[in-house]
Amino acid sequence: MADGLPTEFDVVIIGTGLPESILAAACSRSGQRVLHIDSRSYYGGNWASFTFSGLLSWLKEYQQNSDIGDKSTATWQDLIHETEEAITLHRKDETIQHTEVFCYVRQDMDDNIEEIDDLQKNPSLVTSGTLSKLLDSACLSEEMHSLYGTSHGISAKEIPKNDGEILLEVTGIEESQVKEKYYGDKTCIHTFADGDKDENKPIVEDNTDLPKRNRITYSQLVKEGRKFNIDLVSKLLYSQGLLIDLLIKSNVSRYAEFKNVTRILTFREGKVEQVPCSRADVFNNKELTMVEKRMLMKFLTFCLDYEQHPDEYQDFTQCSFSEYLKTKKLTPNLQHFVLHSIAMTESSCTTIDGLKATKNFLQCLGRFGNTPFLFPLYGQGEIPQCFCRMCAVFGGIYCLRHKVQCLVVDKESGRCKAIIDHFGQRINAKYFIVEDSYLSEETCSNVQYKQISRAVLITDQSVLKTDSDQHISILIVPPAEPGMCAVRVTELCSSTMTCMKDTHLVHLTCSSSKTAREDLESVVKKLFTPYAETEIDREELTKPRLLWALYFNMRDSSGISRSSYSGLPSNVYVCSGPDCALGNEHAVKQAETLFQEIFPGEEFCPPPPNPEDIVFDGDDKQPEAPGTNNIIMAKLESSE
Amino acid sequence: MQAPNKEHLYKLLVIGDLGVGKTSIIKRYVHQNFSSHYRATIGVDFALKVLHWDPETVVRLQLWDIAGQERFGNMTRVYYREAMGAFIVFDVTRPATFEAVTKWKNDLDSKLSLPNGKPVSVVLLANKCDQGKDMLMNNGLKMDQFCKEHGFVGWFETSAKENINIDEASRCLVKHILANECDLMESIEPDIVKPHLTSPKVVSCSGCTKS
Repeated sequence: MADGLPTEFDVVIIGTGLPESILAAACSRSGQRVLHIDSRSYYGGNWASFTFSGLLSWLKEYQQNSDIGDKSTATWQDLIHETEEAITLHRKDETIQHTEVFCYVRQDMDDNIEEIDDLQKNPSLVTSGTLSKLLDSACLSEEMHSLYGTSHGISAKEIPKNDGEILLEVTGIEESQVKEKYYGDKTCIHTFADGDKDENKPIVEDNTDLPKRNRITYSQLVKEGRKFNIDLVSKLLYSQGLLIDLLIKSNVSRYAEFKNVTRILTFREGKVEQVPCSRADVFNNKELTMVEKRMLMKFLTFCLDYEQHPDEYQDFTQCSFSEYLKTKKLTPNLQHFVLHSIAMTESSCTTIDGLKATKNFLQCLGRFGNTPFLFPLYGQGEIPQCFCRMCAVFGGIYCLRHKVQCLVVDKESGRCKAIIDHFGQRINAKYFIVEDSYLSEETCSNVQYKQISRAVLITDQSVLKTDSDQHISILIVPPAEPGMCAVRVTELCSSTMTCMKDTHLVHLTCSSSKTAREDLESVVKKLFTPYAETEIDREELTKPRLLWALYFNMRDSSGISRSSYSGLPSNVYVCSGPDCALGNEHAVKQAETLFQEIFPGEEFCPPPPNPEDIVFDGDDKQPEAPGTNNIIMAKLESSE
Repeated sequence: MQAPNKEHLYKLLVIGDLGVGKTSIIKRYVHQNFSSHYRATIGVDFALKVLHWDPETVVRLQLWDIAGQERFGNMTRVYYREAMGAFIVFDVTRPATFEAVTKWKNDLDSKLSLPNGKPVSVVLLANKCDQGKDMLMNNGLKMDQFCKEHGFVGWFETSAKENINIDEASRCLVKHILANECDLMESIEPDIVKPHLTSPKVVSCSGCTKS
């Protein structure tokens, strides 16, 4: 499909993660001829989001990660001239490890489920999303199921029975099914009648195709799989942060829509509570005493302009923020709120950093909503694509599923002059931007990587139930023991367009000390209970139930200095994969820094002209016979 | 004259192989002119066409060209998102571009559906009919059949050059979209934040502690 790909560019960008995509938009916007490629079949690299079946295919790819293409090693060696040398690139992606999947819901074997696999695989890779294949990947860690006493492990040997299914909701089944036919999932109202909630009603399996929304089975997750947009990285946008500012400034924001994060939660003494952070929240809070309210307001007011009152903290600059908070006449309750939920720092962070973080949080309040955070509709994976669209609109050329075999370096100048792709085609450019995971082991031999531990959970209700089930919440679970990391939990509701109705999508993130499951499972157990087909304990019902879970570790290549990579020519620039932080500041800073380095003095992502102001130029004078193949010519062809 | 009391804004996609005349069609429709050659549409996301549908209704159409450069079929989701209808275009003088039509249609349906779960309305355009009329003349019935089988709401022989049938095709698409719309009103999401250059409603206090 890559026939007709031009061979002369100004900038070749390899990888479609956030920093690369921002750079692509910036370069293209400033008039550079950009080729933006990715070896994967989807946009975003480790910043991508997937439908449910897309995620399963992604998992499968990592299990089969052994054999990517000796057959495609074409004959690039012959294409290297005597005056040149090659720097080979990596063929395998090794950024994801320790993937483990747990399925807690029933898998109806007789349902024939298929969902279009939108990963658009190479023919050599998995192309079908049939149940049996999905089952395979869902049973990766079947031995682990025994860890959960009440869950029915679904193994290939064990065929689930069709009776005794548990209704999540028993009221209004008839009505809601009728409504669903007409309105899809948006307007159908399900009511939880309290008394009925935990009733166990076996229903007879009929073989009609009517969707049964009222209990959730694996086949539903698959059928409704396109309603999911599951992010590999879990991040939010600070409403006064660098990314939102860049989106607005460049007008890339016209491609994106957001929802406000509606709740900041905290986990304390085994309970999930909402953290009051706006003035109204503080005063409406029923958990806090009047005295506490006053203390908290006083402290937060001080934090907003703490620089003006150095006497308040100067003696504590050597202390940790948590030590400092103890001196501020705050009750333990309030110290916990400020430390974990507002500053969102580790206990060891310094007083100054803690104050800075608190101030940042407070400043972000109120720009768009009552919390400092925004979440992109359809998931974080939209954001790189928004920048890619901007790049394409300004003439950038996009090729996914396009592998690069090597960089070609001119021996004399020491500069990179071309890449050779998997077709053996040589593509020349002046600058090369490469995402870290494409670099070979040889290039990265001195690099020390950190790891991120991630869990993705599909659950049946929120960790903190209130009148509305459409909340977007962030919860920091403090470390159980000192020295461990706090775990960041983001809970998304279906109106974020990231999960199907009647479910929540929960992301857990921390920097790794062990495998993702070892790091995160204890928190998962504290907050959730496995979905069980057996008797339900009333006590346990207070916790949301886990329908499906995935753990994995992702490599964190942020914070690696350029000098750690060996043998890279000066015109090859490296972007890192996602970092562990909540915001996107690292990616934006990196993109802007690299752009200024490559094109000093150029404006970074200025706003584009309004489409309505652009007049198509009707005055092309070049004579050309009508009807020849002339309609869309890339900018690079016509701007010569 | 009575002021229009209904306004609709629809995003329409214009899809098809390289060189079938997508940009020409948009240009003819929106700007009423045609040039047999021009460069890629640098910096243009979409063109806007305003239709006075009837005395009470104004319809604004955003026609989204695939940025010519997303030409290897790697459109971003941003392109598809929230579109209400599409034109799939082929070139009657190049049979290969017609063979690609089903590919485009399947691709579209896999990536985009209306909030009610139905596929979006798509009209098929047999473009450059000024050059290859004979090809289709006898195939009208076959084309009707093809549209039925593949879920197109209609098809038109068009010529951007001679300005043939483009307004008609668009009216056909809009008619189908309007007919569907009662369903869609149900699905408008509340509380969506759209940050823009012109609308930074920065609250004067920092929300929390100052007032």
